[in-house]
Amino acid sequence: MNKSHENSYALYLLTDELIHIIYKRDHLIDLEAAQIIVRDRMMVQEGLTMPVLCDIREVRMVTKPARDYLAVEGSLLVKALAFFIDPPVTDVISSFYLGTHLLSFPTASFTDKDEAISFLRESIESPDP
Amino acid sequence: MPNNDDYNVKRIQQMLLEMARGNFFFSLEPSAKNDNVASLIVMLNMVNEEIRASFVHQGFAQSGDTPQYLVQLSLLLDADGTIEMANQKTCSLLSRLPKDLIGKPITELLSKSSRKLWAKQWRRLLKKEQSDAVVPLELTTGDGLIVRKEFNLTTFRTLQGSTKKILMDTVLFSKGEPFGKGLWKHALKVSKGTESPKVRLSQKDIRMIRDVHDMIINNLDRDLPRLRELALQMGTNEFKLKYGFKQLYGTTIFKFLTQERLRKAKTLTMHTSLSLKTIAHMTGFKSIPHFSRAFKEKYGQPPSSLRK
Repeated sequence: MNKSHENSYALYLLTDELIHIIYKRDHLIDLEAAQIIVRDRMMVQEGLTMPVLCDIREVRMVTKPARDYLAVEGSLLVKALAFFIDPPVTDVISSFYLGTHLLSFPTASFTDKDEAISFLRESIESPDP
Repeated sequence: MPNNDDYNVKRIQQMLLEMARGNFFFSLEPSAKNDNVASLIVMLNMVNEEIRASFVHQGFAQSGDTPQYLVQLSLLLDADGTIEMANQKTCSLLSRLPKDLIGKPITELLSKSSRKLWAKQWRRLLKKEQSDAVVPLELTTGDGLIVRKEFNLTTFRTLQGSTKKILMDTVLFSKGEPFGKGLWKHALKVSKGTESPKVRLSQKDIRMIRDVHDMIINNLDRDLPRLRELALQMGTNEFKLKYGFKQLYGTTIFKFLTQERLRKAKTLTMHTSLSLKTIAHMTGFKSIPHFSRAFKEKYGQPPSSLRK
């Protein structure tokens, strides 16, 4: 059931096993952007809980209200989360986010997309905690 | 604006100096590059935001003993967006002399992204006879730092009647100076529900209460044990847990639980087609009526109204 969607902040690709979100270049992610990003993700997922691959390599800034929103409202319908990063900037952003917000599903950051996908696969296969 | 390492390191130093002084309302323009200096700027901005948030929050939750100091920024603009007046605090905060501000277009002070927003908002505001709007704007300081804040923009017609003006103002928090006696101490007190007994919390207690907070967030779909049992489980007593939580987070454990459940439920109701029953179940409400009632109490309308 491959499907895609696009808004001004991100591109969404839905495959059989996961949802792939690619953040676009040059956007400051503030609360309003975060709300749109989450809304559209949930719309694409149609109520299903799934693993999320988040390509944040082009992100340069996420404000605190946006980080808090992404950690609470934005963690709904997520089975596992892998950040696809490009150090050093997005490495700092993802480590900071994961270090200051508690998420109830498996999370990790990767510089290699295949590794990120295998992490997500493993986390679906392992039984729920 | 220059964007080399020397310039960036200077701005980082300036920002750290402001933080050391207790001024957490500045931030740095993020660099478009992906290098070590850029990552340091991103990190510094995020650390600064976290400190600022915890500081303001604690200020309200424990208004009795946290020194707080308000800084008001006010600018008066004419209909073309030229600055006619800037209060002294604005000048010193932006590290600019009055003569560098007065008579200049406001756009000179705004960051690049804010200029676009300003161009849009400003025309819209002036169309109305009188208007109030809250707009997030970024002002740049003489040192290359940024003050990002929601500004109140009020447009009005002058007494002479023919021209319009814009009042642009906001309030920032600083730890720089303690309150004077009287006024502000009272002004910041949350009016009701704050009279709970003060508990002295050790580092260990604070850690324990944070654990309880995290536990609640991670188990929204489950019922909380009774406070007495929860306290026992965490190796503390009910009194400390109850009032300590309130002191740290400014609300009771059960109100916090309901609030977090509703936040999630609202998002699911708005953006998915899951049944209300499923949503109620996912967010820990026992039944639809229970869920609807709590939802209506908080948002003023039942969840079903978001579906039409």
